[in-house]
Amino acid sequence: MRIFLAILIGKILNLVIKTLSLGGGSAAPGLYALKIEPNLVSMLASQIPQNIIITGTNGKTTTSRFITHFAQTQKIKVLRNSTGSNLERGIASSLLFKATVMGKIKGVDLGIWELDEAAFNNVALKINPQIIVFLNAFRDQLDRYGEVDSVVKKWKETLKDINHKALLILNKDDTNIAKLAKSFSGKANFFAVKGYMIRDEALSKESEVNEKSDFEAANIKLNNLEGITFQLSMNSYQLKVNLPLPGIYHIYDFLASFGVGYNLNLDSQKMIDSLASYNPAFGRVEKLSINGKKVWIFLIKNPAGTTQVLQTLSPNISKNDSVLVALNDNFADGTDVSWIWDSEFELLAKIYGLKIIVSGARAADMALRLKYAGIDPKNISINDVLEKAFKLSLEIESGNLFILPTYTALLTLQRILTKDKHKESYWRDD
Amino acid sequence: MNLTIGYLYGECMNIYGDTGNIITLQKRAQWRKISVRVKNISIGDRLKLGEVDIFFFGGGQDQAQQLVSEDLQKGTGEIIKAEVERGIPLLSICGGYQLLGAYYQPHKGPKLAGIDLFPAYTQASSQRMIGNIVVQLTSELADQLASSNSLTRQSANSLLIGFENHSGKTYLDEKAKPLGKIIKGFGNNGEDKTEGCIYKNAIGCYMHGSLLPKNPQLADWLLQKALEVKYSKEMNLMPLNDSFEKTAHNKTISRFS
Repeated sequence: MRIFLAILIGKILNLVIKTLSLGGGSAAPGLYALKIEPNLVSMLASQIPQNIIITGTNGKTTTSRFITHFAQTQKIKVLRNSTGSNLERGIASSLLFKATVMGKIKGVDLGIWELDEAAFNNVALKINPQIIVFLNAFRDQLDRYGEVDSVVKKWKETLKDINHKALLILNKDDTNIAKLAKSFSGKANFFAVKGYMIRDEALSKESEVNEKSDFEAANIKLNNLEGITFQLSMNSYQLKVNLPLPGIYHIYDFLASFGVGYNLNLDSQKMIDSLASYNPAFGRVEKLSINGKKVWIFLIKNPAGTTQVLQTLSPNISKNDSVLVALNDNFADGTDVSWIWDSEFELLAKIYGLKIIVSGARAADMALRLKYAGIDPKNISINDVLEKAFKLSLEIESGNLFILPTYTALLTLQRILTKDKHKESYWRDD
Repeated sequence: MNLTIGYLYGECMNIYGDTGNIITLQKRAQWRKISVRVKNISIGDRLKLGEVDIFFFGGGQDQAQQLVSEDLQKGTGEIIKAEVERGIPLLSICGGYQLLGAYYQPHKGPKLAGIDLFPAYTQASSQRMIGNIVVQLTSELADQLASSNSLTRQSANSLLIGFENHSGKTYLDEKAKPLGKIIKGFGNNGEDKTEGCIYKNAIGCYMHGSLLPKNPQLADWLLQKALEVKYSKEMNLMPLNDSFEKTAHNKTISRFS
């Protein structure tokens, strides 16, 4: 049968990639296995008792990581796709690595699958999930996904075919997401942050969403870059949460994850307590200490996410600190760099005298953006080669270093950090 | 001196980096001590003659395009045309450009009416024309841009660089003047090597990127034309230090052409 061959080929490929240290990518085995057995994902995923899908523009990786953490700390065995492999091939890879050569998946209670906004439409039905989380719909790289309207429209079409027994967990503060409930015959839960409204991308204000929130955060207190404290309300009771990540946008990721855990009958208090031992994902508020310098890494990839990062960072940066922005224009970054003009880099101009180093294939574009954001060109230095730019920024004597890389720049940065032994392993997935 | 930039339907026609063009016009005016106001012209607003010194019109999603097309027919389109006739500069990109032609014919459904400012029409296609684009300006326009400030004159740069992302194919009528010729990319329709259209001081094109930051000579030309109309005299803009702009312009060109 084809599935045996598909799994075998996939496993061999994985071995070859690992043996030859071809890097952290985990897509190739799944890609080739799917060519042999196109139904691989449904054949394997259907053996897992419960599957969850997470999609949306921003926060997929953090949400998937939160859910994994909540589940694992409550002794639930999880299988998930690795960071950055959120197409069908990435899911196929994870499944076939876990499967026996006879095509059996054993010892997995829960599949957690983050799916790219477009891949969702092809893969969701194959997974037949119990829960689907929709986080938000922002403009992402338009060259890859098209416009927000068309992304949301396709989700609505796909939802018509999803099993009505599934549960949707929806962001109430994003009108496009909240309205998805209307295209689905089953049940939906909503999460929201009191007093916040994610910038509404929808043009027409018709049909406001009047659902109540099932999971709501209120009384938010920001603790610099250390984290956020807030009150979580659901049904009739409330819990105090210490989120170890800065940025309001992470509250949404938490609420979605908590909603999933709650519906999986995980213990609420234990989920919240487990946050104390949570480690952030690859480049999502990563903290390092290099030669006595505090280094923070915040991935940037689209206007909404970048503005959120800048809003989170700017009150916590002083003029003695330095910022390294690395802008690439590879496919995974988006080949169109126009988006930097829609991100509020003006927030950095408020930190008078701040030194900014720009790097990456489109460093010159970034430098220009910063100049027009109101930063004095004297304080902007351009160094296209990330490794050199990184070394230079470490040499700056005082202050902390904040690195804002686009996706492939983050991969390069990880390689540099591993090579220079600032980090132990290249692919720090779990 | 002061200028008012009219941002046409800015709240819904602002896809990917269009705001960068507004920022560039604002900053390049402010650096020359020209104060600038941005006036948003939204659906339902009644634009008056003489209210605006430069128009900017960006791209939008399908639903927005339709609403905007309808609104343009209710008077705003006529005012824009009259203003362009008296020399008011205008920059339109992608969706905005399409709606200033005769019409836009989508895949399904009726045509979206344009305002016939540019002698051109646009047809939806199944081809996505996407990527970096390099355009050689017509010599007439290149000369004009070079004279808009002394610094750019010295290093007369007749190339524009941007990023296109459209499936609409725009075809120019015989009497229409293109903005330039494609060196790299698809341009108006991917067939005839033309990109954009120019009528008087109004420009339409498919270049995002954002366009103006990396092509400051074009930004300055728009500002100069606006000041000349407003103050009824010839203007020479004060040169600026454009070293970052030039680096970005030249690097992108050498990377993609």
